[in-house]
Amino acid sequence: MQRAGEALGSMSGQVIDVRTPQLRRCTAADVLAMAGGPEAVVVAVYVGIKGSLEGHALLLFSPSDAHHLAQILLASLLGPDVSPAGAASDPTTFDELELSAIHECGNVTISAFLNELGMHLHEPVQPTPPQIVIEMAGAVLDAVLLDLMSEVDQVLAARTTFTEGDRAIDGTLLVLPRASSLPVLLDALGAIGI
Amino acid sequence: MTTTDDPTVLIAGIGEMVLSSSPDSHLVAYGLGSCVALAAWDPRTRVGGLAHFMLPSGPANGSGPVKFIDSGLDTFLNALEAKGAAISRLVLKAAGAASMLTIGGGLAIGTRNAETIQAGLTERGLRLTAVALGGTTGRTVQLEVGDGRFLVKSLLSVTEL
Repeated sequence: MQRAGEALGSMSGQVIDVRTPQLRRCTAADVLAMAGGPEAVVVAVYVGIKGSLEGHALLLFSPSDAHHLAQILLASLLGPDVSPAGAASDPTTFDELELSAIHECGNVTISAFLNELGMHLHEPVQPTPPQIVIEMAGAVLDAVLLDLMSEVDQVLAARTTFTEGDRAIDGTLLVLPRASSLPVLLDALGAIGI
Repeated sequence: MTTTDDPTVLIAGIGEMVLSSSPDSHLVAYGLGSCVALAAWDPRTRVGGLAHFMLPSGPANGSGPVKFIDSGLDTFLNALEAKGAAISRLVLKAAGAASMLTIGGGLAIGTRNAETIQAGLTERGLRLTAVALGGTTGRTVQLEVGDGRFLVKSLLSVTEL
């Protein structure tokens, strides 16, 4: 997950502090709590994981942190004068440029993590095309939980948070493997020293 | 049940149900995506219940009494009856079952949840009087036990069903 943080940092040109990842067995309610509670509005980039490891990965930001992140990313691409329109109005409103920047940031961050994992597996890990949603955390996560929990009551969640630069942008990377993929994931995570 | 500082707010967490006969109770399920919430209210005894179902079917295994619609529906209806509601009088409304993300192939889980809740009630001779099912938006729902109002909130709107 350190690699995911480095990827995020190289995109934004900021120093990224990646906290020690936590690996926990969780109930559905625990996973929702990790995202700030079911009603907390989040900006989420979702990537499904296929191949030798199956599951789901999400990069989550609060709307205000997502605006900050988009500003940093767009300023590094387009220059400091470009200010996204959505920042001043409703915090849950994002313009297309902002959404595109966060979408790409999520894609790069999650892909970096999956590539690192894939290097330690015998077969490649295939991400599905990333999707971005702005919604209540419960609504974003319940479809993922439903997919994983039809036969089990707990899931394994790998979670790390990032803090970026002086403006303290907190992001949460959540990786939820299917139960049948757990041995594969644990081996790979052990190999990359999570 | 998830607890809060406000004793009148009873929260049905994912796979949980809450019931009340107290007129100042608000029964709430936060952040429904593909999950489906079923609200039941008896206008005579003013008993209300809210169930936050996760999945269409699966083994009843004691974890989350209403995790599955097929095994949880009777659990919910029996609990309402025990609380003083008459099943035949229940005003039933449902919300949720959206499809937020494109996950895997096949029929979206939200769609299957919507079909299963409607079929399950029909089998028992019951029907939904109002629904806010499907679509692509998340919903928070609230049943007012005092008067049976059922509120559905999304990020952009609040509607009463």
